[in-house]
Amino acid sequence: MDFLLSQREELLRKSVREFAESELPPKIETMEKTGEFPIELLESMAKLGITGIIAPPEYGGVGLGYLARTIALEELGRVCAAIPMGMQVHHMAIAALNDFGTDEQKQKYIPPLAKGDTMGVVAVTEPSGGSDVLGMQATAELKGDKWILNGRKCFITNSHTSDFWIVIAKTAEGAKGLSAFIVEKDHPGAKTGRVEHKIGLRGANTGELVFDNCEIPKENILGQEGGGLAVALKTVSESGRTGMAATALGIVNACLEEAARFASERVLYGKPISSLQAISFYLAEIYTELDICRLLCYRASWMKDQNMRCDTENAMAKSYTCDAAVRCARKAVEIHGAYGILQEYKVQRLLRDAMVTVSAGGTGEIGKVVLARAALAPYRKKK
Amino acid sequence: MKTQHIGVFIEQRGGVLHDVGLELLGKARELAEVSKGTVSAFLLGRDISALSDDLIAQGADTVLLADSPVLEPYRLLPYTSVLAQACETCDPDILLFGATRMGVELAPRLAARLRTGLSAHCMDLRLDTEGKLLQMVPGWGGGVVATIRCPDHRPQMATVMPGVMKKLVPTERSGECIHLSVKEDLHRFGPKVLEVHIEEPKEMPLEKADVVVAGGWGIGNPEGWAILEDLATLLCGAVGATRPPVDEGWVSESRMIGQSGKTVRPRLYMGIGISGMSHHVVGMDESDCIVAVNTNPDAAIFEVSDLAVVGDYREILPPLLKEIRTRLPEGRIDTCELPQ
Amino acid sequence: MKRMIVCVKPVPDPNAWDRLQMDPVSKTLIREGIPSVINPLDKHAVEAALEMKDLFGAEVILLSMAPFDAQPVLREVLGMGADRAFLLSDKAFAGSDTLATARILAQGIRNIGEFDLIFCGNFTLDGSTAQVPSQVAEFLDIPNVMHVCDMSILKTESLLLTQKIEQGTVKLEAEPPLLLSFTKEANKPRYISFMEILAAEKRKINIWDNAILNIDETLIGLKGSPTQMADLLLQPKQRKGIRLTGNPEEIARKLADKIHQLGII
Repeated sequence: MDFLLSQREELLRKSVREFAESELPPKIETMEKTGEFPIELLESMAKLGITGIIAPPEYGGVGLGYLARTIALEELGRVCAAIPMGMQVHHMAIAALNDFGTDEQKQKYIPPLAKGDTMGVVAVTEPSGGSDVLGMQATAELKGDKWILNGRKCFITNSHTSDFWIVIAKTAEGAKGLSAFIVEKDHPGAKTGRVEHKIGLRGANTGELVFDNCEIPKENILGQEGGGLAVALKTVSESGRTGMAATALGIVNACLEEAARFASERVLYGKPISSLQAISFYLAEIYTELDICRLLCYRASWMKDQNMRCDTENAMAKSYTCDAAVRCARKAVEIHGAYGILQEYKVQRLLRDAMVTVSAGGTGEIGKVVLARAALAPYRKKK
Repeated sequence: MKTQHIGVFIEQRGGVLHDVGLELLGKARELAEVSKGTVSAFLLGRDISALSDDLIAQGADTVLLADSPVLEPYRLLPYTSVLAQACETCDPDILLFGATRMGVELAPRLAARLRTGLSAHCMDLRLDTEGKLLQMVPGWGGGVVATIRCPDHRPQMATVMPGVMKKLVPTERSGECIHLSVKEDLHRFGPKVLEVHIEEPKEMPLEKADVVVAGGWGIGNPEGWAILEDLATLLCGAVGATRPPVDEGWVSESRMIGQSGKTVRPRLYMGIGISGMSHHVVGMDESDCIVAVNTNPDAAIFEVSDLAVVGDYREILPPLLKEIRTRLPEGRIDTCELPQ
Repeated sequence: MKRMIVCVKPVPDPNAWDRLQMDPVSKTLIREGIPSVINPLDKHAVEAALEMKDLFGAEVILLSMAPFDAQPVLREVLGMGADRAFLLSDKAFAGSDTLATARILAQGIRNIGEFDLIFCGNFTLDGSTAQVPSQVAEFLDIPNVMHVCDMSILKTESLLLTQKIEQGTVKLEAEPPLLLSFTKEANKPRYISFMEILAAEKRKINIWDNAILNIDETLIGLKGSPTQMADLLLQPKQRKGIRLTGNPEEIARKLADKIHQLGII
C-alpha cells in the first residue's frame, strides 16, 4: 500500500495552486455579483491542461487520469469552487463522448472541449427532478433522418456557456427507453432558457435548455438507441460524483486554512482564540474531515484509473465530502464570529458554496441509496 | 592598527550626485580617522570636475577623477575598466559602493576582475583591531545579520544600503584632485545606451511604499485625514487605513491594511489613531519599524510598536511636519523614487 | 538565437523562513525541514528564455549549482518548458562565496559549449547579494546588464533592453553573447502545464561534479572564497516599545531623528 502522491501529481498540484491563487481571486467579485462563469479563463485553463485533462491526446487532450483531475479540481476549489463546478461537468461531457461516441463524434466534439473553445454539458435533470431518471418527460422521435426532440432540461451546469449539449431523452418506455443525443445550440428548435440564481457556486453557470421540435441529425445519437440510461449513469457515477466530491474537497481545505488563520490571528482576552479549547477542537475536527475526504476522493479516483469498478466508492466520496464541506464551512463561520457573516470574509462563501454541492451532481441522498445497497448486498436473500 | 586607504565610488547620473556617495564618504572619513588613514573618492563621468570640491568638503582627501565623453552616460564595462585601472594605480585597502542599481551591477563585476571579495547591502561597517574591515550584512529577509570579512584579498569591497550612513556637514578641507587617464576605445565595449529616461513620480502604491502613514478611527474627521496625507507625501510614502476610515469615506478602500485589506511591509510604518486590533496588525506587523501615536496609553498597537507616543495626533503631527521639512534638502519631494 | 542558458537557484521557501534556526556551534543555518523552491525571479529569466524558444526555436538549458537534492526543483523548472538541465554539485563547491560560485557557474557554461544568451534572476531571495550575474559575465568575458525589465529583439538579432534605475529607465541596445538579469516586471512566467509536466519527465538532468569541471580546488569552495563569515546572529523581531515623552516639539524632534536613522530623510 502506498499513500504517497508521485512527483508528477505533486507538481501538478503545485502548478494548479499557483494558477488558481493568481488567476481566480480577481474574478470572484464579478462572479459573485453576476452569477456568470468567467468564460475568458477557459483559454488559460486550456493552456494549463485543465480543460482537456482526461481527454485522450489523440483528441487534443492531456491524457491524464482521474486522480490528476481530482487534484486539479481540488486546488481550483480551494480558491473558488464555482470554477471546478463548471470544469467537472465539462469533463463529464468529455467522458461521455469518449466512452460512448463514434470516432467521428469524438473527432468532432472532444477537441473543442479539450482546447477550451467551449464548455461541456450533460443534461439529464428536468423540472420534475434528476434522481428519478426514468421519470423524465423529454422525448425524441426519429422522423426520416432527423431526431425530433421536445422537452425541457433544468439545473443544467454550463447551459449558457456551451455550444453543444449532451441531452438524455425518452425514445421509448422503460429502462431501455432512454437515449443520449449531442445537440448543438444552432440546431433548429434548440434554445437556452432562464438562468438560475443560486445561493452558492455563483460563478458556475446554471440554467435551462428548451427543445421545441428541435431537429437533430440522425447520427447525433450518442451510443445506442435505448442506451441513454447507461450514458447517464456511467457519466454521473464515474465522472460527475468524483468531480463534485473534488470540488467540495477544495472547499474543506479552504475551510481549514481560513479557520486556522483567523483563529491564530484573532486575539481575545489577550490571546489568539486558537488557544481556546472550544475553537481548537473545531479546528481538529475540520483537520480530520479534510483527511477523510481526501482519502475517500483519492481512492475513488485511483480505482477509476486502475479500471476498477468504483461507483460505490465514488458515491461515498461524493456524499461524505459534500456533507463534510457544509459541516466544516459552518464551523469555520462560527470560528469567525460576527466576521463570518460579512461578505468580505471568504468563509461565508465557502458555506454557501458547500450547500450547493450537496444537491448537485447526484444528491447526497441518492448517493446514500447506492451506499445502502452496497452495505446490504451480502445479506440480500436470493429470490 | 594598520592605516587604511579607503576608496569610495561616487555615483552620479547626468552630473547629479547620488546621496549614497556622500554618505559613504562620511563613513569612510570615520574609518580613516580610526585607522589614521586616507579617503579617496572615485568620480567618473563627463564635465564633472566641479563636483570634486564638494567631495573634499564632505570627507575626501583625494578625488580620483576620470573625466571623458566615453564615461557619460554610465556604462558598465567602461566604468569597470577605469575603476580596475584606478585600483591598480592607487591600491586602496577598502572600496565602498552604494547598493544602488548602478552599484550592485558595477561592484561585483569589478570585484571579479580584481579577484577580490565583495559583501552586499551592508548595514554597518567597522574596523577590527588590525584595521581589517568588518561588514555587517542582513540576510534571510532581515532575520539574520552576518559579519563578513575579507582577510587576504584587497581591496576589501562592500556595497552599502543608501540612507544608512550619515553625510558629513561640508567643511573647509583641503585635498587634491588627480586626473585618471581614460582610453578612448572604451566606447567599443558593451551595450549602447540609446536613451536615459527620467520619470515623473506617480502616486505611491501602498504595498510598495517605503513609508506607510496609516490612520484609524482616532483621526475623527476628513480634515484630520489631510494631515496624514501631508506627512506621507513629505516622506515619499503612502497613506493606509484601518476599516473605519474607509467606511466613513475618508479614504478609498484600496488603502485598507489588514486581514481584509492589504499587507504592507515598509521600512517605516506610522499608525496614527489606530487602536491595534489584530485584523489590522496582521497586515503591518512585519514592517521594519513601527511608530504608533494614540491617546489611549493602553492601546494594543503599542505592544507591536518600536516607538510609542501617547498623545493627540493633532498636537504631535504639526510640529513633526515642520521638523521634517527643516531637515529635507530642497526639492526633495520632486525626487521621491517610486519603487520598482 | 540558438541556445539560451538560464542560471537558476533553489532557495529555502520564504514562507518557512520563520522556522530557520542557527547551529550555535558551526554558525551555519539549519536548512533541514525547510522546503526548497526555485528562486522566484529565476522564473522570469526562464520565461524570457522560453519566449526566445517560442520565437526562434532556441534550445533552453538550465544551469544550477546546488546540492544533489535540488533535482525536484530543477524538474519543476523543466516543466515550464526548458529542454535540458545541468546540476553542478560537488562537496568541493560547498561554502563558495559569490566569486567562487561565479567561477564554478562560468566553468559549467564553458563546458556546455556555445551559447547566445545567459539569463539570470536579478537577485536570489536567500543571499540577495545580486552579485553572481555580473561576476559570471566577467569570468566569461562577456557584457552583462542587470535590472532588465523589458526585452525585445530587433531584426538584426540585436536586443533592445530596458533597464530599471532609481530615477526611471535606461534603453540599451546590445548584441549577443550577453548575460542579462531580469526583474519581475520583465514578463509573466508561464504556469507549468500538464503537457509539459509529462514531457519534462523524459528530459534529462545532467549532474556534473568537479571531476568534470576540473577547476583548481584552491579557487572554489570555502578555500577559494575571498570573503568569510566571521559571525552570524539571528535577529529576533522584537519590538522595543519605547515610549517617547516630552512636549509635542520634543516628541516631534525624536520622531524625526528616528525617521532620519532609518534613512528616509
